[in-house]
Amino acid sequence: MTVKECYEEIGGDYEEILSRLMRDDLVKEFATMFLDDSSYEELVTQMEKGNCEEAFKASHTLKGVCQNLALTELANASSEMTEALRNKDMTMAESLMENVKKSYKKTKEGILALLAQ
Amino acid sequence: MEKNMILIVDDAEINRKILKVIFEEQYQILEAADGEEAMALLDTNKDQIAVMFLDLIMPNKSGLDVLDYMKAKKYIKYIPVIMITGEATAESDEKAYEYGVSDIIYKPFAPKVVMRRTKNIIELFEYRANLESQLEERTKELIESNRKIKRNNEFLIGALSSVVEFRSLESMEHIRRIKCFTRIMLEHLNQFSSNYHFSEEQMNLIVDASALHDIGKIAIPDSIMLKKDKLTKEEEKELEKHTIYGCDLLENFKQEDDDEFYRYCYEICRYHHERDDGKGYPDGLKGEEIPIWAQVVSLVDCFDSLVSGQVYKVPFAVDEAMRVIREGRYGVFSKEMLDCMEVAKSELFHAAELELSYAD
Repeated sequence: MTVKECYEEIGGDYEEILSRLMRDDLVKEFATMFLDDSSYEELVTQMEKGNCEEAFKASHTLKGVCQNLALTELANASSEMTEALRNKDMTMAESLMENVKKSYKKTKEGILALLAQ
Repeated sequence: MEKNMILIVDDAEINRKILKVIFEEQYQILEAADGEEAMALLDTNKDQIAVMFLDLIMPNKSGLDVLDYMKAKKYIKYIPVIMITGEATAESDEKAYEYGVSDIIYKPFAPKVVMRRTKNIIELFEYRANLESQLEERTKELIESNRKIKRNNEFLIGALSSVVEFRSLESMEHIRRIKCFTRIMLEHLNQFSSNYHFSEEQMNLIVDASALHDIGKIAIPDSIMLKKDKLTKEEEKELEKHTIYGCDLLENFKQEDDDEFYRYCYEICRYHHERDDGKGYPDGLKGEEIPIWAQVVSLVDCFDSLVSGQVYKVPFAVDEAMRVIREGRYGVFSKEMLDCMEVAKSELFHAAELELSYAD
């Protein structure tokens, strides 16, 4: 699997990220780094605690990272999440969380598959 | 010192790394994952940071906290801040600019644009810092040259006024005492009379002008100036003209119509022998018609003549001199001037002691 195929698999925009980072290996490097980013775990933890404010910060960070890596699908999911939390709408946030989880799982598995080769 | 560092403040390592990749060839990169780390790095590297990238929403201290800190420490004046943000809302952008942010860039970063804008901002700040240091340098030069001019002025005024004193065989210290007493009287008028509010600058000018009060004596013939015996009526009339001669002299050198210093010099020269009752010379002005600075110099001139022994050949004690003046036996002054002299008594006394002991 190429990096491009991986991006297509996980709903990312490969052309976009390549135009920004210029090099395919750099795209792969950043994608790898994404696995170490803790904002998703933080979001999960804070949602479980019901801490709206901290969940907002984590969601906001996750969204920024995804935008920067052109992980479009997860960026959109976390963006919706961020807005719900900004408005302190926990009910909405709870229901959006499912989508974020699903999208994150897909992204993570896709990147792991790329690295496993 | 060359500013060779860039500080990147963002809680997500990936975001920091993306910026780092853009700049790491040209700059040493400092990274902070939250506001607190950013503040610490600012403190230690403030002079080497060319630009700072700042995320607003972070754990611990937020981006706004960092900006507050930079404002308080005045870092914001010389370290440009580029805010990085995920969403553009006019409200938060405006707020950021109000906080002193130089520019805002939105995630996701487009490296070429980020690089170009960053370069522009760094250059702008360098240019501004350069201008400011040039301005500072110029200001220093101006202050220095002003100081020189002032010193030269003092020297010239001193030289000019001492010509008269030298020729009339009076003590050359007379001028210094007149200046000293004039300042004391002006300061007391400021404090004790609601009619006058002399600024420091104004007082300096009046004090300088007081040194020239007898400049017209230069035009009085030696036969009168140096005469040991009592002057005849004609000779006295001629001596009185030193007030007019002084003004003639000054008029020759007048430069601008509204020159404040000229006005003090002129009025002090002309009116320092006027009397409150209108029986002085040369114009017979009375009361408030006599400019206050001329009244002051007139009084301190009388006072100095008495305490230095010019009039009665024997120096009067300060108390005695004041009594003679108050009783109208030597000069006639307004109640206000006499009251002020009374209030200034102890300072005049100390100044007289000090200045007269110099002359010995």
